[in-house]
Amino acid sequence: MTDSQLRTSPLHAAHRDLGATFAPFGGWEMPIQYSGGGVVAEHTAVREAVGVFDVSHLGKALVAGPGAAEFVNSCLSNDLRKIGAGQAQYTLCCVESGGVVDDLIAYLVSDDEVFLIPNASNTAEVCRMLAAAAPEGITVTEQHTDYGVLAVQGPKSSELLEALGLPTKLDYMAFADAEWEGRTVRVCRTGYTGEHGFELVPNWDDAPALWAALLDAAAPMGGRACGLGARDTLRTEMGYPLHGQDLSLEISPVQAGSGWAVGWKKDSFWGHEALRAEKANGPARKLFGLRALERGVPRSHMDVLNAAGERIGESTSGTFSPTLKIGVALALLDTSAGVKIGDEVTLDVRGRSLRCEVVKPPFVQTNVK
Amino acid sequence: MVPEDLRYTEQHEWVARTGADTVRIGITDYAQNQLGDVVFVQLPETGKKVAAEDVLGEVESTKSVSDIYAPLAGEVVAVNEAVVTAPETINTDAFGDGWLVELKLDDPSAVDGLLDAAGYRGKINEG
Repeated sequence: MTDSQLRTSPLHAAHRDLGATFAPFGGWEMPIQYSGGGVVAEHTAVREAVGVFDVSHLGKALVAGPGAAEFVNSCLSNDLRKIGAGQAQYTLCCVESGGVVDDLIAYLVSDDEVFLIPNASNTAEVCRMLAAAAPEGITVTEQHTDYGVLAVQGPKSSELLEALGLPTKLDYMAFADAEWEGRTVRVCRTGYTGEHGFELVPNWDDAPALWAALLDAAAPMGGRACGLGARDTLRTEMGYPLHGQDLSLEISPVQAGSGWAVGWKKDSFWGHEALRAEKANGPARKLFGLRALERGVPRSHMDVLNAAGERIGESTSGTFSPTLKIGVALALLDTSAGVKIGDEVTLDVRGRSLRCEVVKPPFVQTNVK
Repeated sequence: MVPEDLRYTEQHEWVARTGADTVRIGITDYAQNQLGDVVFVQLPETGKKVAAEDVLGEVESTKSVSDIYAPLAGEVVAVNEAVVTAPETINTDAFGDGWLVELKLDDPSAVDGLLDAAGYRGKINEG
């Protein structure tokens, strides 16, 4: 299963010791689940106690120089003026057509410094686009292997961080640089699971010690290491898009229901003309939630059919929801089909029809705040 | 975990004789471990006639879906409805309550052509 082309996290040896099953993800070999756990047990730990994820494959980049924040704000979709220094924001990097190169988190450190966490496989392109557009004096530095990223998610996430003496009194999407055993760790109140949680950004070489300390303290709380398998079922239950599936160069934020991450009041940002036009005219297709009404597991790229058996769209993500014990999916449906919340549609699961109700995500109650 | 008294296939299924010409079929403990949490099982109707290697149904985990193949030719005479309602039984008891279907074989002696426990252990590099 190993592939020399794949990059590995600073915790790779630790994952192997925990009996992880690995899989390639965005060019990285990452743990999908751990022995003695499994997707359902790891998912449940996050919903009921606390889970610790290694997401060090995520990209890191620094945009620095006089007016760096203003520059980033002229490129990425969301409006950085809505937040202050010490806060982070979900934002999108679009192209002129309105398609999405990546969705990412921008940490506003100061007017002259913005730290970015893009997706692993899109980091190089986001950095290239920003560097090409950057005025003199503003530098864009890829820092992919300068830092690790650990996500601590679940109702006991604050208790776990307190056990390590890390700060927890942070508003949603606020961050702080803290000291842990003489090492600097950036702590942000964010996540991708729908639970109260944090993402920690230690130096790459400090990640193994922090990971071990978190797991030691998590065990008596019913917490555990969680892999990317559970991260995917958790985010799907929330209806959070995964770039490459629910958002892409072909799927705009207006279609994906991510218009809330677009700063419509800004004068300009990449893709603003196309996105404003699409918003004004109404998108040709929109992302909905599908909740299975019978047994069966939706996956991505399955046809969605209306009552007449006509194809009206396709699923972009789908999984078995460990919380609801039923299949759930996100699907792009043609606006012309006139589908409404509460309607019944059918998903073509490898030739078998799966009846689903059209719903508005999240599928499971959100507890992030 | 590879019980001595069963026969096995290359597709990680086990076959147990239940009568002169009938067998019970399931997936091995190795297979359920590779699949991860099983969340959906689709089984054939009883009475269905199958050739060896025909698809009998599906076992789907949180991660992936796998076909179940008929190890030998015959007719489906029983299906485990309990595993359809509680697919996780395959994870907890792959060789017992997690059985999938029973077949009445066209050629009962064909069972002897399947892998024995030692042969299957060799395949999964165990023992």
